[in-house]
Amino acid sequence: MRNGEIRIRDAGVSYRLYRERVTTLKEAVVQRFRHLRSAEMFWALRNVSLTIPPGDAIAFVGHNGSGKSTLLKTIAGVLQPSEGEVLVQGRISPMIELGAGFDSELTGRDNIYLNGALLGFSRKQMEAKFDGIVAFAELGDFIDMPIKNYSSGMYARLGFAIAQDVEPEILIVDEVLAVGDERFQEKCKARIKDFRTSGVTFVFVSHAHAAVSELCARAAVLHHGRLAFDGHVEQAWERYRELERGPAPGPSAAAL
Amino acid sequence: MLNPLLLMIVYTVVFTTIMPVAQRNFSIFLLAALLPWLFFSTAVLQGLNSILGNQELIRKVRVPQAVFPLSVVGSNLVNFTLSMLPLFLLMAALKQRFSTALFFVPVGMILLTIFTSGVTLLLATFTVFFRDVRHLAEVLLQMMMYLSPVLYDLNMLGANKNWWFRFFQWFLAVNPITYLLALIREPVYYARVPDAATIAIATGSSFVALAVGYKVFQRLAPRHIHYL
Repeated sequence: MRNGEIRIRDAGVSYRLYRERVTTLKEAVVQRFRHLRSAEMFWALRNVSLTIPPGDAIAFVGHNGSGKSTLLKTIAGVLQPSEGEVLVQGRISPMIELGAGFDSELTGRDNIYLNGALLGFSRKQMEAKFDGIVAFAELGDFIDMPIKNYSSGMYARLGFAIAQDVEPEILIVDEVLAVGDERFQEKCKARIKDFRTSGVTFVFVSHAHAAVSELCARAAVLHHGRLAFDGHVEQAWERYRELERGPAPGPSAAAL
Repeated sequence: MLNPLLLMIVYTVVFTTIMPVAQRNFSIFLLAALLPWLFFSTAVLQGLNSILGNQELIRKVRVPQAVFPLSVVGSNLVNFTLSMLPLFLLMAALKQRFSTALFFVPVGMILLTIFTSGVTLLLATFTVFFRDVRHLAEVLLQMMMYLSPVLYDLNMLGANKNWWFRFFQWFLAVNPITYLLALIREPVYYARVPDAATIAIATGSSFVALAVGYKVFQRLAPRHIHYL
């Protein structure tokens, strides 16, 4: 596999939905005497196969609960697939969620180092990047304030500023652009385009048609955990709209 | 660091004035086992919550999860090491003998850390699946303190033919903590290096605890996220 490549083969992620969820030892013992606990399997993702070559830009589109985030989490390595395999080669800069890996009690400065450590950078290496990150985030003096006092836009700025400066080979952006103001969004898009030209793989999740078409040529449509379409972004969008007009979306638990 | 000192004062007052124990320099005798015990029990109790406590991170970022319980053990080891300083000061103040056996203390601390890491990893992963493990562990640790030679020593037990006393002696003999605590009390209080059997049992049980704890933890870690 080459650096920056993502290969997903027949991947599925299942959650067990317990009718009576056992969370304590006491309950587990008591349940033994009552009846066996009944579990229903819910496949948040199933039979998804995708190959994303290095330098490609792909958007995942789908209704809420379609499995986009689950798929992103398996790519980022947060979730292990229950079946199939997900192979990822290269350094990922995952922005799975706004401010993932931030400690809200710490200042912005400390969070930069913390996030750097999570991505495998030493304190020294992060010191070299520090000024660039602060400049990109445009947080000024707020950098020494605990981030629990930040607005959601400031959160997103700091998050993106870190992600863009850690030399990612795979950049995952999940809806975070929606929070920043227009000027910052433009700045992020410009930065993402820079990455594109330098051959960074880009995985994007968004409900904003314009942003998706602007940044990605390829899109995959997820529908109830299945891959419904994979191809050109405009056709994908059409397919997505078509599926939305169908039966009401929403997670449904299929008994196995 | 303050906690063991205050506890030591309480125990020393209790055992020298309220219920006198005829043991020379009882505070040193006590501290030599109480400090290691507090390191173990505090690390385990804090560490078993560490996966739940860091769930925000675990749910969003890929991290080797063993880092969380192990870092708790690490920070408690720092506290433990720092709390040895007042012990040495006290030894000097009470004119307790400093012997070359004291060089063995770091070995004992390392073995105890290995043991503690194993137990902490094991309980940390169990706590994710069964939330009441914490309460269970609190009670069990409290019991274990009295069932391990912390406030007393094996040679203070005397003789008794009762079945429960024989059971108690049997338990002390199979309790790995008995041997681990001896690794530190022997050099500090009795000014001698523990015997080979004690060192062997302590070493063996430490590595077994770490191997089991780490294996089980790594096995169950990918499933944590479904239970957080």
